[in-house]
Amino acid sequence: MKELVKYSLYDYIRSNKYFPPVSTYFIFIFVFYTYKPNPVISSYAITALILYIVSVWLCISILSLDAPIQKQMIILHLKSRNRYYLSKLMSVWLVAMVLTVYAFLYPIVFDMFKEPVTLTTGFVSLTNHILLATLGICVASLFSKGLMDNPVNSYGGLSLIVILSIAALGIYNVLPPTFQNIVWILPPSVITQTPLSNWSGENISDLSIFPFVWIIIYSLLLVVLFLKLAKRK
Amino acid sequence: MSKLVELKQISKEYGNKKVLHDISLTIEENQVIAFLGGNGTGKSTILRIISSLERPSSGKVVYPNKSLRIGYVPDRFPKMLRFTPGEYLHYVGRIGGISKEDLNKRIPDLLHRFQLEVMNHKWIMHLSKGNIQKVGIIQAILQKPDLFILDEPISGLDVHAQQELVNIVKEFKKQGSTILLTYHESHKFDDVIETTYYLHHGMISKNNMLAKKQIKLIEVKKIDELIVKQWDEVLHMENKENRLLLYVGLENSDTILSRVLQLQGSIDSVSTIVVDENNQIG
Repeated sequence: MKELVKYSLYDYIRSNKYFPPVSTYFIFIFVFYTYKPNPVISSYAITALILYIVSVWLCISILSLDAPIQKQMIILHLKSRNRYYLSKLMSVWLVAMVLTVYAFLYPIVFDMFKEPVTLTTGFVSLTNHILLATLGICVASLFSKGLMDNPVNSYGGLSLIVILSIAALGIYNVLPPTFQNIVWILPPSVITQTPLSNWSGENISDLSIFPFVWIIIYSLLLVVLFLKLAKRK
Repeated sequence: MSKLVELKQISKEYGNKKVLHDISLTIEENQVIAFLGGNGTGKSTILRIISSLERPSSGKVVYPNKSLRIGYVPDRFPKMLRFTPGEYLHYVGRIGGISKEDLNKRIPDLLHRFQLEVMNHKWIMHLSKGNIQKVGIIQAILQKPDLFILDEPISGLDVHAQQELVNIVKEFKKQGSTILLTYHESHKFDDVIETTYYLHHGMISKNNMLAKKQIKLIEVKKIDELIVKQWDEVLHMENKENRLLLYVGLENSDTILSRVLQLQGSIDSVSTIVVDENNQIG
């Protein structure tokens, strides 16, 4: 798996397909912190949410790198379809982690916050970035080229799901109470936003852990579903 | 000889088009087998199913040895590879679990055999079709496969590479591997092929139905399908609405007819099938 991750990352770099999503995120962070000072927790919450969208983009571009025959050749050498897809997801995740580190360090290095980043706020914000990046990758995997032959279904379906997931809080508020639980089907991309905006950052025990755990569970379910669907293809 | 792969009543459909019909076949170790037939007869499909790259629509593929090493050369090796041949083969070898030391010895040797070492500074996507095909062949033999599958491997290869491939097939045969291949209009492999299967309209036969211009189609009823399956003279059998359609060589038709009557089966019709230039049964 390690060799396939290396292969995929080299191929991604040589393809130059990394440039649009990576540069978009770099520019976003740069523009976002144009004015200072900024609040730590809510600024990080927004950059994490944008990372969710950029991770979707990264995943689609990395999973479309291998031509169908090339994919089959590698699966034959690897002797496992699951390991092939897990390696690809791991490659996307590593690229997303580079963006996570950038999003986390940029405002600290350039002193963009009005208060210092404590160990607690730093840890929670970093975790939020990692979890939302992972969620974005898992969501996008279900709409990747390998599973969806029609690009209209792939890009259209994915855009719709990403938009609905970001608008989940608004959708929840306008739905009648009996239908409000439908929102739980959507990817929990904004589930950490409210607890983070209400959190003072002083004590981690004041923060509800459930939204973070739910992102992990939801992502794991998506990976299992992705592997099952990929096996049937 | 032990079994490498067993196909049990394999059928394959793409949409409404049935490419393979009810094929059962056992592939044993240390054989060289050719699958021949016209375009669109299902040659590539059967190789892809045997190599596990594709799933059959129905039927089962059994691999008695779970750690079977399969080397597969596709008819069109992917072009858009942003690696030099050496880099690509190194990655593929490592992905397949070969040690760095073995690869460092084996890759230069194989690049030399296929005269690719002078191209080793270029990305594969910038190589000619023939040279890309050479990389496709090398990636399949890096692991010294137990089952070496080649789908039209010689198209685009220069004479030297064609001969090198024939030598490699002979070497693997000596080492005990089984080689399955398909090709068009070539006699390069004639002296190494041990068994030939002919594919026609998704049906498989050891006899070249096309070579025998006249085949008898016998439609029978009240005959047990399992008994007919034991008759070697029957080139192919189909089951249609309680009737069995038996395709029999002209020289064996009397034998089959008398067997059907002995078993108190009824003969609906006997007709002669003419194979035209386009390989269509008329």
